[in-house]
Amino acid sequence: MEVNLIEKDNVITAQLVGRLDTAVSQEVANALQPMIDKAEKTLVLDCKELSYISSSGLRIFLTVRKAASAKGGKVIVRDINNEIRQVFMMTGFLNLFEIQESNN
Amino acid sequence: MKSSKNAMTRFAARQGLLLVLVCVLALEATSIVQYIFSYKILSQESNGRAQGQLEATALHITGVMDQVETAVKNNVWSVQQQISNVDSLEAISRRLVQLNPVICGSTVALVNKNVAPYCWDEGGEIKAGTLATEEYDYKHQEWFEKPLECGKGYWSEPYFDEGGGDMLMTTYSVPVADKKGKAIAVLTADVSLDWLTELVGSVKVYPSAFNMVVSREGQIMVCPIETLVMRKTVQELALATDDSSSVANINKNLSSGEFGSSTIRYKGEVFYMFFGPVSRTSWSLSLFVPEEEIYGEIHKLGQLVLMLQILSVILIILIIRSTVKNSRKLRIVSENKNRIEGELKVARGIQMSMVPKIFPPYPERSDVDMFATIVPAKEVGGDLYDFYIRDNRLFFCIGDVSGKGVPASLVMAVTRSMFRTVSGHENSPQRILTTINDSMSDMNESNMFVTMFCGVLDLSTGHLRYCNAGHNAPVVVKPDGAKAFLDVLPNLPLGVMPGMAFTEQEIDMEIGGGLFLYTDGINEAENINHECFGDSRLMDAIQAGLSAHDQVEAVTGKVRDFVADAPQSDDITVLYIRFMNENATKKTERHLILHNDIQQIPQLAEFVEAVAEMAHLDVGMTMSLNLALEEAVSNVIMYAYPQGSDGLVDIEAVITDDRLKFIISDSGQPFDPTAAPEADITLDVEDRPIGGLGIFLVRNIMDEVHYERADGKNLFTMIKKLA
Repeated sequence: MEVNLIEKDNVITAQLVGRLDTAVSQEVANALQPMIDKAEKTLVLDCKELSYISSSGLRIFLTVRKAASAKGGKVIVRDINNEIRQVFMMTGFLNLFEIQESNN
Repeated sequence: MKSSKNAMTRFAARQGLLLVLVCVLALEATSIVQYIFSYKILSQESNGRAQGQLEATALHITGVMDQVETAVKNNVWSVQQQISNVDSLEAISRRLVQLNPVICGSTVALVNKNVAPYCWDEGGEIKAGTLATEEYDYKHQEWFEKPLECGKGYWSEPYFDEGGGDMLMTTYSVPVADKKGKAIAVLTADVSLDWLTELVGSVKVYPSAFNMVVSREGQIMVCPIETLVMRKTVQELALATDDSSSVANINKNLSSGEFGSSTIRYKGEVFYMFFGPVSRTSWSLSLFVPEEEIYGEIHKLGQLVLMLQILSVILIILIIRSTVKNSRKLRIVSENKNRIEGELKVARGIQMSMVPKIFPPYPERSDVDMFATIVPAKEVGGDLYDFYIRDNRLFFCIGDVSGKGVPASLVMAVTRSMFRTVSGHENSPQRILTTINDSMSDMNESNMFVTMFCGVLDLSTGHLRYCNAGHNAPVVVKPDGAKAFLDVLPNLPLGVMPGMAFTEQEIDMEIGGGLFLYTDGINEAENINHECFGDSRLMDAIQAGLSAHDQVEAVTGKVRDFVADAPQSDDITVLYIRFMNENATKKTERHLILHNDIQQIPQLAEFVEAVAEMAHLDVGMTMSLNLALEEAVSNVIMYAYPQGSDGLVDIEAVITDDRLKFIISDSGQPFDPTAAPEADITLDVEDRPIGGLGIFLVRNIMDEVHYERADGKNLFTMIKKLA
């Protein structure tokens, strides 16, 4: 699992690469902490390279979402695959997150 | 028992004593015989030597006397011719002395007149005088009377010539007769006997030997003790010897006129006396040799031999004592050996009774056909096998303890009982071996180890879970005749390393197929040329379609034929299991065992993906299953066991035609995940709790979920129906 944070023009993008399972969830949560700290900005969770997410991953997403909503920021989940979309659907996350598809 | 031991000891002691006695007697007899022979030889030799000397001496003396006699006799005619001329007579005497060095004096003494001119040698100068003096009165001297008396030459008794310088002398005198045969004079020659002393003393056959020359009358003429010469007779001397019988001996011997020998004692010393005559003068020659000198060597030899014998006897006694002691020890050792062998036999009996030996073991069952045998080596070995059925599963194992003898058999017994105990509540071969390994490693102070193959065969499905701990790979036999070594991970043998994680494998057995298990007693069986039976011969000996009994017989028979007369060095153990359940449910099982470590989650993902592939599921469904399994398993990993303690999570996947079932079990604290409240997914971000999604996802993904607590375990079952 790999997390790349890119801050640009008031937008913080986190590229999530690999499988976000329970084994790595703590590590990912730590990696995303800078983003949570600046939750007043626009936070993008780039899931183009994310192949799998477990409930612990969903919890991290929810934590980010809650922080943004507390600080007036905004969370965009970008490019989730079908399987993750199904999980989002199942868990009602589709209602909580703004899902975007990048053009390419 | 005790008294028989004493009797044994007494017997051995008696034997030892007898042996010593025989040895001593043999040694003594040998040395006595040797002594006697040596004595004889020495005595013969000394006799020879002494007699030789005596004869030579006598010959020499006779020679000198002959010379004297001839010289004197040759002048008898001159005396007859010159009888009336006194001066001429003196000249005759002078010539005699002059021409014969042995003759130191000479006279012609007339019978009718008182005329006796005498010539003698005094330091090379011939002097002349007369014996016809009044005080000498030669006509009454022995040398004058005797020859006239007997009418022939006469040797006088030796005497000291006091007039002519203390010389030991003897005189030869011959009567001279006129033409009518009437004695007219006596012609004499004085012979100094100094040469005799010299002659007799010069020949020494033994260093301390000495000679004596004794005259006719027993006068000692030559003797190493100067004071005895001419002062004592041999009779007087004989009286001085230590025993009176030797007096008679000496007398008799010396007067016998023959050669011979005898012994005398003189001043505590024993002498050998050799004697012989000088016939012409009736003197006796005798040679005295201290006994020590003749037999000294043999006496020394005798002493040496005696000492050696004493030493040998002491040695023999010591050896016998130590032998007796050793034989006692040996007997104890052999008693111990017998006892140990007896106990080993009992041990082997106990060991053999530990493995199931009644075949067929399950005559009422038609789903399994099995046969096993252990052909024990001479010594107690450490091979084992075991099997039994629980919950319609056949638990079996085959193993080989390192080493041989009692230690191996003890470890074997312990291992076998651990197998029974652990497998009584564990369905996973990996867990069974891990547990056995941990307890064995803990108490393994003797560094014994066991190679073991452990299997659990589900008799309703033919699914075999197995784990190999360093044992030989069994042979899988397919109903169509194909056979191959089972794919086994080597792992370490049991007892080598505590905490070792063994890896489990699984396979589905075909109906009619078999699993042939064996120990290295088979493939490493050696014939007399030290060739191994080997894998290929083993493979050739295995044939599909044979009953378990026939198969085992076939292989052990082949091994027996191959080994022939070579001694069997190792146990030969074979276990053949055939899966025969015609009505086996067609299902596939897979198992995974994880530790309560969240980092093992990726292994779970691999496992789920493998199972999903076997069930031909698509990517979406695979991920959903993955998610559900991860939720359920991570739940157990994180919460079932107290923080910091080690625990395991079992995941069993069962694939049948219409559904996929996962059973997650753990031995942690009771926890029912299904009791958690349903998550409300309609809530706003602010109201949504962070957790609680796990079980929600599981419920949503799976078609059936249920929990039960049984045998101290949490069993969480999830079922997904397959389209």
